[in-house]
Amino acid sequence: MPDRGDRDEDLVRRHLSGDRGAFAMLVERHERRVYNLALRMTGREEDARDATQEAFLTALRKLSSFRGEAAFTTWMHRVTVNACYDLLRKRQRQPLLDRGGEDELPRPEPPPAPDHADDTAFSIDVRRALLEVPEDFRVVMILHDVQDLPQDEVAAILGVPVGTVKSRLHRGRIALARALHVERERGGAPGPSDGSVTL
Amino acid sequence: MTHPEELLADYVDGTLGDDERAVVVAHLEGCAACREEVELARTAVQALAALEEEPVPLGVTGPVLSEAGRRSERRRTELWGRVQWIAGAAAAAALVLVVAVSLDLGGSDDEAARTLGGDAAAESAVPAPEEGSDPSATIEGVEQQIGVNYTDEGLRTLAQESAVERDAMLGATAGDGAAGATGATGATGGAGEAETEDEGGDVAFAGPGPAIACLRSAGAPVDAPRDRLIRLIEAEYEGTPAYIAVFSEGPGADQAADRVVIWVISTGDCQILTLLQQAL
Repeated sequence: MPDRGDRDEDLVRRHLSGDRGAFAMLVERHERRVYNLALRMTGREEDARDATQEAFLTALRKLSSFRGEAAFTTWMHRVTVNACYDLLRKRQRQPLLDRGGEDELPRPEPPPAPDHADDTAFSIDVRRALLEVPEDFRVVMILHDVQDLPQDEVAAILGVPVGTVKSRLHRGRIALARALHVERERGGAPGPSDGSVTL
Repeated sequence: MTHPEELLADYVDGTLGDDERAVVVAHLEGCAACREEVELARTAVQALAALEEEPVPLGVTGPVLSEAGRRSERRRTELWGRVQWIAGAAAAAALVLVVAVSLDLGGSDDEAARTLGGDAAAESAVPAPEEGSDPSATIEGVEQQIGVNYTDEGLRTLAQESAVERDAMLGATAGDGAAGATGATGATGGAGEAETEDEGGDVAFAGPGPAIACLRSAGAPVDAPRDRLIRLIEAEYEGTPAYIAVFSEGPGADQAADRVVIWVISTGDCQILTLLQQAL
Protein backbone atom coordinates (compact mmCIF):
# COMPACT_ATOMS: atom_id res chain seq x y z
CA MET A 1 0.00 0.00 0.00
CA PRO A 2 1.55 3.35 -1.00
CA ASP A 3 2.33 5.79 1.74
CA ARG A 4 2.58 9.54 1.64
CA GLY A 5 6.21 9.21 2.71
CA ASP A 6 7.07 7.24 -0.43
CA ARG A 7 9.29 9.00 -2.93
CA ASP A 8 7.83 9.60 -6.38
CA GLU A 9 10.27 7.14 -7.87
CA ASP A 10 9.10 4.48 -5.39
CA LEU A 11 5.50 5.14 -6.41
CA VAL A 12 6.48 4.73 -10.07
CA ARG A 13 8.02 1.36 -9.25
CA ARG A 14 4.95 0.34 -7.26
CA HIS A 15 2.68 1.36 -10.12
CA LEU A 16 4.70 -0.64 -12.61
CA SER A 17 4.55 -3.66 -10.36
CA GLY A 18 0.75 -3.46 -10.24
CA ASP A 19 0.00 -1.36 -7.16
CA ARG A 20 -3.28 0.29 -8.09
CA GLY A 21 -3.06 3.08 -5.55
CA ALA A 22 0.42 4.24 -6.53
CA PHE A 23 -0.52 6.13 -9.67
CA ALA A 24 -3.46 7.74 -7.89
CA MET A 25 -1.04 9.01 -5.29
CA LEU A 26 1.28 10.41 -7.95
CA VAL A 27 -1.68 12.21 -9.50
CA GLU A 28 -2.79 13.54 -6.14
CA ARG A 29 0.71 14.77 -5.39
CA HIS A 30 1.32 16.56 -8.69
CA GLU A 31 -2.10 17.63 -9.98
CA ARG A 32 -1.93 21.10 -8.49
CA ARG A 33 1.38 22.02 -10.08
CA VAL A 34 0.44 20.40 -13.37
CA TYR A 35 -2.92 22.16 -13.51
CA ASN A 36 -1.50 25.56 -12.58
CA LEU A 37 1.30 25.26 -15.12
CA ALA A 38 -1.29 24.42 -17.77
CA LEU A 39 -3.58 27.23 -16.62
CA ARG A 40 -0.85 29.86 -16.86
CA MET A 41 0.37 28.51 -20.19
CA THR A 42 -3.04 28.33 -21.86
CA GLY A 43 -4.92 31.04 -19.98
CA ARG A 44 -8.21 29.14 -20.12
CA GLU A 45 -9.61 26.82 -17.49
CA GLU A 46 -11.08 24.53 -20.12
CA ASP A 47 -7.73 24.20 -21.88
CA ALA A 48 -5.95 23.73 -18.58
CA ARG A 49 -8.29 20.85 -17.70
CA ASP A 50 -7.67 19.23 -21.09
CA ALA A 51 -3.91 19.71 -20.86
CA THR A 52 -3.85 18.32 -17.32
CA GLN A 53 -5.76 15.22 -18.34
CA GLU A 54 -3.61 14.75 -21.41
CA ALA A 55 -0.43 15.16 -19.38
CA PHE A 56 -1.45 12.52 -16.85
CA LEU A 57 -2.71 10.14 -19.54
CA THR A 58 0.60 10.52 -21.36
CA ALA A 59 2.40 9.90 -18.10
CA LEU A 60 0.31 6.78 -17.58
CA ARG A 61 1.14 5.50 -21.06
CA LYS A 62 4.82 6.32 -20.88
CA LEU A 63 5.59 5.63 -17.27
CA SER A 64 7.18 2.32 -18.19
CA SER A 65 9.77 4.29 -20.18
CA PHE A 66 10.58 6.51 -17.21
CA ARG A 67 14.11 5.41 -16.35
CA GLY A 68 14.70 7.63 -13.39
CA GLU A 69 17.58 9.56 -14.97
CA ALA A 70 15.65 12.72 -14.14
CA ALA A 71 13.50 13.32 -11.07
CA PHE A 72 9.88 12.37 -11.63
CA THR A 73 8.89 16.01 -11.03
CA THR A 74 11.14 17.12 -13.88
CA TRP A 75 9.76 14.41 -16.14
CA MET A 76 6.15 15.23 -15.24
CA HIS A 77 6.73 18.94 -15.90
CA ARG A 78 8.22 18.08 -19.29
CA VAL A 79 5.19 15.96 -20.16
CA THR A 80 2.91 18.81 -19.07
CA VAL A 81 4.78 21.44 -21.07
CA ASN A 82 4.53 19.23 -24.16
CA ALA A 83 0.79 18.74 -23.57
CA CYS A 84 0.39 22.53 -23.34
CA TYR A 85 2.37 23.13 -26.54
CA ASP A 86 0.24 20.52 -28.35
CA LEU A 87 -2.95 22.10 -27.13
CA LEU A 88 -1.82 25.62 -28.04
CA ARG A 89 -0.88 24.43 -31.52
CA LYS A 90 -4.30 22.82 -31.93
CA ARG A 91 -5.98 25.98 -30.76
CA GLN A 92 -4.02 28.06 -33.30
CA ARG A 93 -5.32 25.81 -36.07
CA GLN A 94 -8.92 26.35 -34.99
CA PRO A 95 -10.98 28.93 -36.86
CA LEU A 96 -11.00 32.21 -34.98
CA LEU A 97 -14.74 32.09 -34.28
CA ASP A 98 -14.44 28.72 -32.54
CA ARG A 99 -11.73 29.75 -30.12
CA GLY A 100 -13.70 31.79 -27.63
CA GLY A 101 -10.49 32.51 -25.74
CA GLU A 102 -11.31 36.11 -25.09
CA ASP A 103 -14.36 35.10 -23.09
CA GLU A 104 -12.32 33.21 -20.55
CA LEU A 105 -10.64 36.21 -18.98
CA PRO A 106 -13.35 38.83 -18.88
CA ARG A 107 -12.32 42.42 -18.55
CA PRO A 108 -12.73 43.44 -14.92
CA GLU A 109 -15.81 45.41 -14.08
CA PRO A 110 -15.26 48.87 -12.63
CA PRO A 111 -14.40 48.11 -9.02
CA PRO A 112 -17.24 48.82 -6.60
CA ALA A 113 -15.12 47.85 -3.58
CA PRO A 114 -11.66 49.22 -4.22
CA ASP A 115 -9.60 47.18 -1.74
CA HIS A 116 -10.23 43.67 -2.97
CA ALA A 117 -11.22 44.54 -6.52
CA ASP A 118 -7.84 46.14 -7.13
CA ASP A 119 -6.10 42.85 -6.37
CA THR A 120 -8.45 40.91 -8.62
CA ALA A 121 -8.09 43.33 -11.52
CA PHE A 122 -4.32 43.28 -11.14
CA SER A 123 -4.27 39.48 -11.16
CA ILE A 124 -6.36 39.41 -14.35
CA ASP A 125 -4.02 41.99 -15.91
CA VAL A 126 -1.06 39.77 -15.19
CA ARG A 127 -2.78 36.66 -16.54
CA ARG A 128 -3.72 38.47 -19.72
CA ALA A 129 -0.30 40.04 -20.14
CA LEU A 130 1.35 36.67 -19.66
CA LEU A 131 -0.54 35.34 -22.66
CA GLU A 132 0.93 38.11 -24.80
CA VAL A 133 4.44 36.79 -24.18
CA PRO A 134 5.63 34.17 -26.70
CA GLU A 135 5.26 30.62 -25.39
CA ASP A 136 8.97 29.78 -25.18
CA PHE A 137 9.53 32.77 -22.92
CA ARG A 138 6.26 32.37 -21.04
CA VAL A 139 7.01 28.83 -19.99
CA VAL A 140 10.38 29.80 -18.51
CA MET A 141 8.80 32.53 -16.41
CA ILE A 142 6.00 30.26 -15.21
CA LEU A 143 8.40 27.54 -14.16
CA HIS A 144 10.95 29.84 -12.53
CA ASP A 145 9.07 32.92 -11.31
CA VAL A 146 5.68 31.37 -10.55
CA GLN A 147 6.52 27.78 -9.62
CA ASP A 148 9.90 28.64 -8.08
CA LEU A 149 11.89 25.99 -9.90
CA PRO A 150 15.64 26.65 -10.13
CA GLN A 151 17.06 27.59 -13.51
CA ASP A 152 18.93 24.31 -13.96
CA GLU A 153 15.72 22.34 -13.41
CA VAL A 154 13.88 24.56 -15.88
CA ALA A 155 16.69 23.85 -18.35
CA ALA A 156 16.30 20.10 -17.75
CA ILE A 157 12.54 20.26 -18.21
CA LEU A 158 12.83 22.17 -21.48
CA GLY A 159 15.93 20.37 -22.74
CA VAL A 160 17.84 23.62 -23.32
CA PRO A 161 21.10 24.97 -21.87
CA VAL A 162 20.91 27.00 -18.65
CA GLY A 163 22.23 30.01 -20.56
CA THR A 164 19.17 29.86 -22.78
CA VAL A 165 16.94 29.81 -19.71
CA LYS A 166 18.67 32.92 -18.33
CA SER A 167 18.29 34.73 -21.61
CA ARG A 168 14.64 33.75 -22.10
CA LEU A 169 13.88 34.65 -18.52
CA HIS A 170 15.24 38.15 -18.89
CA ARG A 171 13.65 38.77 -22.30
CA GLY A 172 10.37 37.25 -21.15
CA ARG A 173 10.22 39.44 -18.07
CA ILE A 174 10.75 42.56 -20.13
CA ALA A 175 8.05 41.45 -22.57
CA LEU A 176 5.66 40.76 -19.70
CA ALA A 177 6.26 44.16 -18.11
CA ARG A 178 5.62 45.88 -21.43
CA ALA A 179 2.50 43.82 -22.04
CA LEU A 180 1.31 44.65 -18.54
CA HIS A 181 1.84 48.31 -19.27
CA VAL A 182 -0.19 47.97 -22.47
CA GLU A 183 -2.96 46.14 -20.57
CA ARG A 184 -3.20 48.96 -18.05
CA GLU A 185 -3.07 51.66 -20.68
CA ARG A 186 -5.86 49.88 -22.49
CA GLY A 187 -7.92 49.99 -19.30
CA GLY A 188 -11.26 48.23 -19.53
CA ALA A 189 -11.52 48.36 -23.31
CA PRO A 190 -12.27 44.88 -24.63
CA GLY A 191 -10.70 43.44 -27.74
CA PRO A 192 -8.07 40.91 -28.64
CA SER A 193 -4.47 41.91 -28.79
CA ASP A 194 -2.39 41.36 -31.90
CA GLY A 195 -0.13 39.27 -29.67
CA SER A 196 2.98 41.26 -30.45
CA VAL A 197 5.23 42.24 -27.59
CA THR A 198 8.68 43.69 -27.91
CA LEU A 199 11.27 41.26 -26.61
CA MET B 1 28.92 48.65 -25.69
CA THR B 2 28.59 45.00 -24.71
CA HIS B 3 25.63 44.41 -22.42
CA PRO B 4 25.96 41.66 -19.78
CA GLU B 5 22.58 40.24 -20.75
CA GLU B 6 23.35 36.72 -19.53
CA LEU B 7 23.79 38.14 -16.02
CA LEU B 8 20.73 40.36 -15.79
CA ALA B 9 18.18 37.68 -14.87
CA ASP B 10 20.35 36.54 -11.99
CA TYR B 11 21.00 40.15 -11.02
CA VAL B 12 17.26 40.72 -10.72
CA ASP B 13 16.93 37.47 -8.76
CA GLY B 14 19.76 38.56 -6.47
CA THR B 15 21.67 35.34 -7.03
CA LEU B 16 24.87 36.70 -8.57
CA GLY B 17 28.20 36.28 -6.87
CA ASP B 18 30.06 39.40 -5.69
CA ASP B 19 32.35 39.66 -8.71
CA GLU B 20 29.62 39.29 -11.30
CA ARG B 21 27.36 41.61 -9.40
CA ALA B 22 30.07 44.27 -9.39
CA VAL B 23 30.38 43.91 -13.17
CA VAL B 24 26.65 44.44 -13.62
CA VAL B 25 26.49 47.38 -11.21
CA ALA B 26 29.36 49.08 -13.04
CA HIS B 27 27.65 48.50 -16.35
CA LEU B 28 24.28 49.79 -15.19
CA GLU B 29 25.83 53.07 -14.07
CA GLY B 30 26.64 53.88 -17.66
CA CYS B 31 23.82 52.11 -19.55
CA ALA B 32 20.34 53.57 -19.42
CA ALA B 33 18.90 50.84 -21.64
CA CYS B 34 19.98 48.07 -19.26
CA ARG B 35 18.78 50.07 -16.26
CA GLU B 36 15.35 50.30 -17.87
CA GLU B 37 15.37 46.58 -18.64
CA VAL B 38 16.24 45.73 -15.06
CA GLU B 39 13.40 47.91 -13.81
CA LEU B 40 10.98 46.26 -16.22
CA ALA B 41 12.17 42.80 -15.21
CA ARG B 42 11.65 43.65 -11.53
CA THR B 43 8.12 44.80 -12.29
CA ALA B 44 7.44 41.48 -14.04
CA VAL B 45 8.86 39.41 -11.18
CA GLN B 46 6.66 41.25 -8.68
CA ALA B 47 3.61 40.80 -10.89
CA LEU B 48 4.24 37.07 -11.28
CA ALA B 49 4.78 36.65 -7.54
CA ALA B 50 1.28 38.06 -7.01
CA LEU B 51 -0.31 35.28 -9.05
CA GLU B 52 -1.96 32.86 -6.69
CA GLU B 53 -2.10 29.13 -7.17
CA GLU B 54 -5.56 28.04 -8.29
CA PRO B 55 -7.24 24.93 -6.88
CA VAL B 56 -7.70 22.05 -9.28
CA PRO B 57 -11.35 21.89 -10.37
CA LEU B 58 -13.20 18.78 -9.33
CA GLY B 59 -13.28 15.89 -11.71
CA VAL B 60 -10.21 16.85 -13.75
CA THR B 61 -8.26 13.75 -12.88
CA GLY B 62 -11.23 11.38 -12.58
CA PRO B 63 -10.97 10.09 -16.19
CA VAL B 64 -7.23 9.60 -15.73
CA LEU B 65 -7.74 7.50 -12.62
CA SER B 66 -10.43 5.47 -14.38
CA GLU B 67 -8.04 4.78 -17.23
CA ALA B 68 -5.32 3.84 -14.74
CA GLY B 69 -7.75 1.40 -13.14
CA ARG B 70 -8.65 -0.17 -16.48
CA ARG B 71 -4.99 -0.56 -17.43
CA SER B 72 -4.20 -2.07 -14.08
CA GLU B 73 -7.08 -4.51 -14.50
CA ARG B 74 -5.85 -5.50 -17.97
CA ARG B 75 -2.36 -6.06 -16.61
CA ARG B 76 -3.79 -8.15 -13.81
CA THR B 77 -5.82 -10.22 -16.28
CA GLU B 78 -2.76 -10.79 -18.46
CA LEU B 79 -0.72 -11.75 -15.44
CA TRP B 80 -3.46 -14.11 -14.25
CA GLY B 81 -3.52 -15.68 -17.72
CA ARG B 82 0.19 -16.28 -17.48
CA VAL B 83 -0.14 -17.75 -14.00
CA GLN B 84 -2.83 -20.12 -15.24
CA TRP B 85 -0.68 -21.14 -18.19
CA ILE B 86 2.25 -21.81 -15.90
CA ALA B 87 0.00 -23.71 -13.51
CA GLY B 88 -1.32 -25.78 -16.41
CA ALA B 89 2.16 -26.49 -17.68
CA ALA B 90 3.31 -27.40 -14.19
CA ALA B 91 0.31 -29.71 -13.73
CA ALA B 92 1.07 -31.39 -17.05
CA ALA B 93 4.71 -31.81 -16.06
CA ALA B 94 3.63 -33.24 -12.72
CA LEU B 95 1.32 -35.68 -14.49
CA VAL B 96 4.15 -36.93 -16.67
CA LEU B 97 6.41 -37.26 -13.65
CA VAL B 98 3.81 -39.04 -11.53
CA VAL B 99 2.86 -41.42 -14.31
CA ALA B 100 6.52 -42.17 -14.90
CA VAL B 101 7.13 -42.80 -11.22
CA SER B 102 3.95 -44.92 -10.99
CA LEU B 103 5.06 -47.04 -13.90
CA ASP B 104 8.49 -47.46 -12.36
CA LEU B 105 7.29 -48.32 -8.91
CA GLY B 106 4.11 -50.07 -9.90
CA GLY B 107 1.97 -47.57 -7.99
CA SER B 108 -1.75 -47.43 -8.62
CA ASP B 109 -3.53 -44.85 -10.81
CA ASP B 110 -5.49 -43.71 -7.78
CA GLU B 111 -2.34 -42.68 -6.02
CA ALA B 112 -1.16 -40.84 -9.13
CA ALA B 113 -4.46 -38.98 -9.36
CA ARG B 114 -4.36 -38.00 -5.70
CA THR B 115 -0.80 -36.74 -6.07
CA LEU B 116 -1.68 -34.82 -9.20
CA GLY B 117 -4.61 -33.16 -7.52
CA GLY B 118 -2.44 -32.03 -4.65
CA ASP B 119 0.29 -30.64 -6.89
CA ALA B 120 -2.08 -28.82 -9.19
CA ALA B 121 -3.81 -27.21 -6.26
CA ALA B 122 -0.48 -26.10 -4.87
CA GLU B 123 0.65 -24.63 -8.19
CA SER B 124 -2.52 -22.70 -8.85
CA ALA B 125 -2.91 -21.37 -5.37
CA VAL B 126 -3.21 -17.58 -5.36
CA PRO B 127 -2.01 -15.83 -2.25
CA ALA B 128 -4.82 -14.28 -0.27
CA PRO B 129 -4.79 -10.51 -0.08
CA GLU B 130 -2.99 -9.12 2.90
CA GLU B 131 -5.35 -8.33 5.72
CA GLY B 132 -4.44 -5.58 8.13
CA SER B 133 -6.36 -4.55 11.19
CA ASP B 134 -10.08 -4.20 10.52
CA PRO B 135 -10.47 -0.85 8.71
CA SER B 136 -14.23 -0.88 9.17
CA ALA B 137 -13.94 -0.76 12.95
CA THR B 138 -14.24 3.03 12.85
CA ILE B 139 -17.57 3.10 11.03
CA GLU B 140 -21.01 1.72 11.65
CA GLY B 141 -21.27 0.04 8.27
CA VAL B 142 -22.04 1.00 4.71
CA GLU B 143 -24.64 3.77 4.60
CA GLN B 144 -27.22 2.72 2.05
CA GLN B 145 -28.14 5.79 0.04
CA ILE B 146 -29.99 3.92 -2.65
CA GLY B 147 -31.15 6.15 -5.49
CA VAL B 148 -28.93 9.03 -4.42
CA ASN B 149 -26.71 10.25 -7.24
CA TYR B 150 -23.59 12.20 -6.28
CA THR B 151 -22.03 14.72 -8.63
CA ASP B 152 -18.69 16.43 -8.09
CA GLU B 153 -20.53 19.22 -6.34
CA GLY B 154 -22.22 16.68 -4.07
CA LEU B 155 -18.87 15.13 -3.22
CA ARG B 156 -17.49 18.52 -2.33
CA THR B 157 -20.41 19.09 0.01
CA LEU B 158 -19.87 15.63 1.48
CA ALA B 159 -16.20 16.43 2.09
CA GLN B 160 -17.12 19.65 3.84
CA GLU B 161 -19.78 17.91 5.93
CA SER B 162 -17.40 15.15 6.84
CA ALA B 163 -14.78 17.65 7.92
CA VAL B 164 -17.32 19.39 10.12
CA GLU B 165 -18.65 16.11 11.52
CA ARG B 166 -15.16 14.93 12.25
CA ASP B 167 -14.46 18.12 14.19
CA ALA B 168 -17.74 17.68 16.05
CA MET B 169 -16.89 14.08 16.88
CA LEU B 170 -13.48 15.09 18.13
CA GLY B 171 -15.09 17.79 20.25
CA ALA B 172 -17.84 15.59 21.68
CA THR B 173 -17.32 13.58 24.80
CA ALA B 174 -19.40 10.72 23.52
CA GLY B 175 -20.40 10.02 19.94
CA ASP B 176 -23.75 8.43 19.23
CA GLY B 177 -22.75 7.09 15.83
CA ALA B 178 -25.49 9.03 14.09
CA ALA B 179 -23.18 11.59 12.52
CA GLY B 180 -23.59 10.00 9.11
CA ALA B 181 -27.34 10.49 9.04
CA THR B 182 -27.06 13.80 7.23
CA GLY B 183 -24.89 12.38 4.50
CA ALA B 184 -27.48 12.32 1.75
CA THR B 185 -27.72 16.10 1.78
CA GLY B 186 -24.33 16.14 0.07
CA ALA B 187 -25.77 14.49 -2.99
CA THR B 188 -27.36 16.17 -5.90
CA GLY B 189 -29.63 14.78 -8.48
CA GLY B 190 -29.59 15.52 -12.18
CA ALA B 191 -31.49 18.76 -11.69
CA GLY B 192 -29.12 19.85 -8.95
CA GLU B 193 -31.59 19.21 -6.15
CA ALA B 194 -30.76 17.08 -3.16
CA GLU B 195 -32.34 13.68 -3.37
CA THR B 196 -32.87 12.72 0.18
CA GLU B 197 -35.41 10.08 0.97
CA ASP B 198 -34.62 9.73 4.59
CA GLU B 199 -33.50 13.14 5.71
CA GLY B 200 -33.87 13.27 9.44
CA GLY B 201 -34.80 9.58 9.54
CA ASP B 202 -32.86 6.41 10.21
CA VAL B 203 -30.01 5.48 7.96
CA ALA B 204 -29.80 1.89 6.76
CA PHE B 205 -26.39 0.26 7.12
CA ALA B 206 -25.02 -2.82 5.40
CA GLY B 207 -22.06 -4.97 6.36
CA PRO B 208 -18.82 -3.41 5.17
CA GLY B 209 -17.02 -6.57 4.01
CA PRO B 210 -17.59 -6.41 0.23
CA ALA B 211 -17.11 -2.64 0.16
CA ILE B 212 -13.82 -2.86 2.05
CA ALA B 213 -12.60 -5.62 -0.28
CA CYS B 214 -13.53 -3.47 -3.27
CA LEU B 215 -11.76 -0.42 -1.83
CA ARG B 216 -8.68 -2.46 -1.04
CA SER B 217 -8.64 -3.85 -4.55
CA ALA B 218 -8.83 -0.33 -6.00
CA GLY B 219 -5.85 0.75 -3.92
CA ALA B 220 -7.76 2.92 -1.42
CA PRO B 221 -5.81 3.49 1.80
CA VAL B 222 -7.96 1.18 3.96
CA ASP B 223 -4.88 -0.31 5.61
CA ALA B 224 -2.72 2.82 5.65
CA PRO B 225 -1.77 3.82 9.19
CA ARG B 226 -2.21 7.53 8.50
CA ASP B 227 -5.77 7.12 7.16
CA ARG B 228 -8.93 6.55 9.10
CA LEU B 229 -12.13 5.51 7.40
CA ILE B 230 -14.79 7.82 8.80
CA ARG B 231 -17.65 7.13 6.44
CA LEU B 232 -18.60 4.57 3.82
CA ILE B 233 -21.57 5.14 1.56
CA GLU B 234 -23.19 3.05 -1.16
CA ALA B 235 -24.89 5.32 -3.69
CA GLU B 236 -24.28 6.43 -7.26
CA TYR B 237 -21.67 8.73 -8.70
CA GLU B 238 -22.62 10.37 -12.00
CA GLY B 239 -25.10 7.54 -12.51
CA THR B 240 -22.67 4.71 -11.75
CA PRO B 241 -23.28 2.58 -8.63
CA ALA B 242 -20.41 3.40 -6.35
CA TYR B 243 -18.86 3.05 -2.94
CA ILE B 244 -17.94 6.46 -1.56
CA ALA B 245 -15.31 6.16 1.14
CA VAL B 246 -14.42 9.16 3.26
CA PHE B 247 -11.03 9.08 5.00
CA SER B 248 -9.48 11.51 7.39
CA GLU B 249 -5.79 11.55 6.66
CA GLY B 250 -2.75 12.91 8.44
CA PRO B 251 0.79 13.44 7.23
CA GLY B 252 1.96 10.42 9.21
CA ALA B 253 0.73 7.45 11.20
CA ASP B 254 0.57 9.19 14.57
CA GLN B 255 -0.11 12.70 13.40
CA ALA B 256 -3.36 14.63 13.48
CA ALA B 257 -5.46 14.47 10.33
CA ASP B 258 -5.07 17.51 8.11
CA ARG B 259 -7.48 16.66 5.33
CA VAL B 260 -10.44 14.61 4.20
CA VAL B 261 -9.93 12.36 1.19
CA ILE B 262 -12.86 10.81 -0.66
CA TRP B 263 -12.43 7.75 -2.86
CA VAL B 264 -15.26 6.89 -5.23
CA ILE B 265 -15.10 3.32 -6.46
CA SER B 266 -17.43 1.59 -8.89
CA THR B 267 -19.30 -1.20 -7.09
CA GLY B 268 -19.42 -3.22 -10.32
CA ASP B 269 -15.72 -3.59 -11.05
CA CYS B 270 -14.03 -1.78 -8.16
CA GLN B 271 -12.49 0.79 -10.51
CA ILE B 272 -11.62 4.27 -9.26
CA LEU B 273 -14.21 6.73 -10.55
CA THR B 274 -12.77 9.82 -8.95
CA LEU B 275 -10.82 11.17 -5.99
CA LEU B 276 -11.36 14.33 -4.01
CA GLN B 277 -9.55 15.93 -1.12
CA GLN B 278 -10.41 18.74 1.21
CA ALA B 279 -8.03 20.35 3.68
CA LEU B 280 -9.22 20.37 7.27
